[in-house]
Amino acid sequence: MTNAARCGDCAHFRNAAGFLEQALPGLASLSSGDASVRADDGLCLHHDRLVAVGDRCAAFAARVEAQATARG
Amino acid sequence: MSTVATDLAAPPTPQRSGWSELWLKEDWWAIWLGLGIVLAALVLFTQGASIGWLAVTPPKWSSFDQLGAHFAGNLGRYAAQFAVWLVLFGAGIAALGHKVRDFALAFVFLYLLAVAIFALGQWDQAAKYNLEPPLVALALGLVLSNLLGLPRWLDAGFRVEFYIKTGIVLLGATLPFTLIVWAGPVAIGQASVISIATFLVIYFVAVKLGLDRRLAATLGVGGAVCGVSAAIAVAGAVGAKREHAPIAITLVIGWAIVMIFVLPLVARVLQLPAGVAGAWIGSSEFADAAGLAAAQAYGDLAGHVDGIAGTADQSIFAFTLMKVVGRDVWIGIWALVLAVIATTRWEKTGIDRRIDAGEIWRRFPKFVIGFLVASLIVTLVATQHGMADFDKTVKPALVNPVKDLRSWAFIFCFLSIGLTTRFRELAAAGRKPFIAFTSGVVVNVVLGFLLSAVMFAGYWSGLAR
Repeated sequence: MTNAARCGDCAHFRNAAGFLEQALPGLASLSSGDASVRADDGLCLHHDRLVAVGDRCAAFAARVEAQATARG
Repeated sequence: MSTVATDLAAPPTPQRSGWSELWLKEDWWAIWLGLGIVLAALVLFTQGASIGWLAVTPPKWSSFDQLGAHFAGNLGRYAAQFAVWLVLFGAGIAALGHKVRDFALAFVFLYLLAVAIFALGQWDQAAKYNLEPPLVALALGLVLSNLLGLPRWLDAGFRVEFYIKTGIVLLGATLPFTLIVWAGPVAIGQASVISIATFLVIYFVAVKLGLDRRLAATLGVGGAVCGVSAAIAVAGAVGAKREHAPIAITLVIGWAIVMIFVLPLVARVLQLPAGVAGAWIGSSEFADAAGLAAAQAYGDLAGHVDGIAGTADQSIFAFTLMKVVGRDVWIGIWALVLAVIATTRWEKTGIDRRIDAGEIWRRFPKFVIGFLVASLIVTLVATQHGMADFDKTVKPALVNPVKDLRSWAFIFCFLSIGLTTRFRELAAAGRKPFIAFTSGVVVNVVLGFLLSAVMFAGYWSGLAR
């Protein structure tokens, strides 16, 4: 498991500020998805947990640039 | 290793930190904007001019004729100020990836509301009817967002944290650095005692009630350190479940809004000096934005309501020292310690984490750097002038205009709190998390009162006198 790639490169990982502000209701009321305290943490859609960019797990799935393919 | 096609509807590639944080994080933008304003004010001051023309605010008034005459005579100044705010905040909004067009439209609405709130607060009968601008702004925002309903896209202009952080950087320029050095250690000591006690109470009550330890920790820091920001930081640091953070957020928002109204009210009944009330609010509120609303509301009463000693600045300064210096800056250490405990002591989650001391810097609320630098800049300028000269030239031409611009940033923030808080959209907290969090609230408020209003009362009431 420790040899797996980082969560930040995983297809299950989401950490865009706008996405987190929608996924975590109330976040923008007294804080912000753009705040430094969040660092680069994001949501893992596989484990359904908040994880750090540098975390790793056995369920890593490489990100495919599907958007570019779809537009192309 | 498997391969999964990225959902087309999902957000794009994750952001990365490092140097890009300098333009991809709100804290840094608050620093650039806040220090930019301070430096612009300083340059004008050294040229014998002042930024005061731009820092227009409604004056004290007793009749609509007076108010109307003021606006008629200063329309150009308000238009210029609006344009400057729009460009400055718009630049940050664009860099952060939000929709600039939505922001601009929302900001027109926000600015007009802010002018109305500011003017109302300057009415000579405002204190008599409890029309403190922070409280009116919050209440109006809550009514508009919860009873009337506003389009979701307007949220692009209601950036609570961006406004409050920029305001706090500007606040630094009005707070002597020597005061931070003198009062900072006391604030840190007092805040640390309260933070640790509050965290332990929430955490152990939550665990006793059978809640997940990661939820308990997320609730604990939400009540003990810096509210929603602490909750989201520690939720990530300990690998909390997705639903944990919204539970903590709901409880923080609920109690923070209650405290915005209750703390100034109780302080008024007890006739606490402004500095003491500011320290108590700084010890007992959960979020910077909510606490500043309460501290400013109470500070505005000083000098206008019989029995309330001190000045508005004392309330704001004591709050800021206690909350920002005493509590906020330690979030990285809380996150690091709890991440180590979660990884080594709590049940495994299937996620492997390498923890390092860099966690402290990564989560450091960087806007505090801007606050300290702004304080240092103006303090260095002040040392070049005698006290009489400072009051006669530096204060009116440099410090007071920055203070007025700070007031605008705070009103944008107070309005935005209400405008973005939609109670029906918040997650259900549940009975057990509510009990655990509320236990901490009680400890927080009582301990904060004892330390601020009893043990260190003389210290806080004499702050910056």
